[in-house]
Amino acid sequence: MKITVFSAVFFCLALMTAQARAGEMGADEIASRASRVSYYQGADGRSEVTMVITDSQGRQRQRSMTILRKNVGEGGEQKYYVYFHKPADVKGMSYIVWKHAGNKDDDRWLYLPALDLVKRIASSDKRSSFAGSTFLYEDISGRSIELDTHELVKSGDGYYELKNTPRDAASVEFSYYTVTIDAANFVPRRAEYYDKEGKPYRIIEALEVGEIQGFATITKMKAVDLNSGGSTVAEFSNISYNVGLGEDIFTERYLRKPPIQWLKE
Amino acid sequence: MRLFAICAGTALSMAVCCARLYASAMPEIHGFIEHAGAVKTSDNELVKHGSFNLLEQRLQLKASHAFPVESILGTWQSVARFKGDFTVDEHYAGKTGFDLREANLSMSPASFVDVKLGRQVLTWGTGDYIFINDVFPKDYESFYIGRDDEYLKKPSDAVRLSVYPPFLNADFVAIPFFEPNALPQGDRLSFFDSFQGGIAGRESDRHLIEQPGQGHNIEYAVRLYRNFKSTEIAFYAFRGFDKMPRSYKSESSRQLYYQRQNVFGASLRSPVFSGIGNLEMGYVHSPEDSAGTNRLVENSIFKALAGYEKDLGNDLKIGVQYYYEQRLNYADYMQALLSRDFFWDEYRHLLTQRITKLYMNQTVMVSLFNFYSPSDHDGYARPSISYAITDRWKITAGANIPWGSHETTDFGQMKKNKNIFLRLRYSF
Repeated sequence: MKITVFSAVFFCLALMTAQARAGEMGADEIASRASRVSYYQGADGRSEVTMVITDSQGRQRQRSMTILRKNVGEGGEQKYYVYFHKPADVKGMSYIVWKHAGNKDDDRWLYLPALDLVKRIASSDKRSSFAGSTFLYEDISGRSIELDTHELVKSGDGYYELKNTPRDAASVEFSYYTVTIDAANFVPRRAEYYDKEGKPYRIIEALEVGEIQGFATITKMKAVDLNSGGSTVAEFSNISYNVGLGEDIFTERYLRKPPIQWLKE
Repeated sequence: MRLFAICAGTALSMAVCCARLYASAMPEIHGFIEHAGAVKTSDNELVKHGSFNLLEQRLQLKASHAFPVESILGTWQSVARFKGDFTVDEHYAGKTGFDLREANLSMSPASFVDVKLGRQVLTWGTGDYIFINDVFPKDYESFYIGRDDEYLKKPSDAVRLSVYPPFLNADFVAIPFFEPNALPQGDRLSFFDSFQGGIAGRESDRHLIEQPGQGHNIEYAVRLYRNFKSTEIAFYAFRGFDKMPRSYKSESSRQLYYQRQNVFGASLRSPVFSGIGNLEMGYVHSPEDSAGTNRLVENSIFKALAGYEKDLGNDLKIGVQYYYEQRLNYADYMQALLSRDFFWDEYRHLLTQRITKLYMNQTVMVSLFNFYSPSDHDGYARPSISYAITDRWKITAGANIPWGSHETTDFGQMKKNKNIFLRLRYSF
């Protein structure tokens, strides 16, 4: 009898622990799958991006670029090549990022064709604006999921909602952010960033999602800065996956001599 | 030589246009129109009178053409590029000019080979406004009168061959036509002229003698480089001429010339202390005066540089550099000098600092670059602020503030050339 009670208590404890672990794993698994869908689909990819940046007074600026991406190895490392088409004063500039996993700083190089100068860019701040837009570097190349703890705060209606809290609070400007993720394809639909006072100040939203070569893909997204009133809409076009980019594309050679076969507008 | 370049450029641009017409489309033309002025803030009676040392309008046009894949050039992924500046110079009473910045053809005749042929800007090395192994021509006049940074680099008429085998990358450059640095000449900017015995302006009557464009005068530059993960390592070699007229051809007829020069160097650039660090050194050999005993010819020099740049977050970046220069065989040089000669110091130490901050969605850039030499007791401050009013309009204001206690040092000789500049540019 005593043994039975003991077994029952043990069984319950075991069950509770298992459930807790499943919940925890669930959030991490969802975050990991959402990150893969957003930034890692296919072995490589290319896309043309047009950004319209609107400031609080309604003035608009445009950026247009081609982005090439390749996954390198299994650890979440990636290489990016960005070629600027617009505006006119930056046309022809090219940019390489070697994105590293975890806390290691990315390597970045910028090529200024007028000076034939390959500049190494100090890049410890991944939370600075990308090309003057409302998007941050981390929005474009992805925030490493190991940098945050993930908590499943809501699920149902075909969506998961994750609360992501930075492990190193001092390294970022937000206290946490929530992401609503489509349960069917793990595409993040909306992210809200909260400041240190717990007030939302930044929203990123997927406006259009399509399917390209079988991969669910965001084709239009918007970032809004609630503090400044500025926003940026990014539209992705001519997207293709598994195009066969060589790793040599992401080297100084192709900074100086842009790989035109991949950059046609 | 200029004529040659203009002809070559015109021919190439015509070729580009014809090729495009053949493909039934005109090439896209881009560029800018700019108005630039720099007001003198020093009382300088030596240079040309007037309150400006820069007052010009500039129209830059550029076009490129990627050859269609059906042609041989197309299968080599060839691109022809053209860039030229038309200028109206109010400093010289509306004198018009044309500056051909680029006219070249780049090709990949094999998967691991790139060739760039024609007029092009050439840059390598790791310094920020300090050049050790970048032996290609600069325009210091543009630098001091407030033109855009683009004009610090002068183009070269050259062939650049780059090969990319798996283990090492290599660049070979041949420059058949010597192009010296553009320096103050006395009309816009005053400078130290040893023939005048001090800072001189329009009265300067020195002659700068270039060697003729002959086979044995072709300049060669090589760079071997590769990455070890995030660390970049490069080795450099150069055989050619000093781009500065530092040696005397004839004292009596006030002739300076560009002595032969060989440079051997190396550089390293890598992430360090959550920033980017760089080291570069070079041994500049003066083959016309290897022993250092000829007082008229520049000695060999050792140069080294260490730099660090860091992103402090919120679009704020800082950079610092330390540069060291030592004139070799100095005792022999001093021995050879005559009593009234002006002479170079043995050592030069130079510190630089750059701070850049962006505001308003990166449309406003505030920047300050400082040179300071504790050994020369001189320096040069370059503050600037720019605002991209729209995607097309940009306004830039800044100042050039060289200072120093001696007339012979790099920045001290420029101290009467302080100015405030303003540029308004429309890009298309």
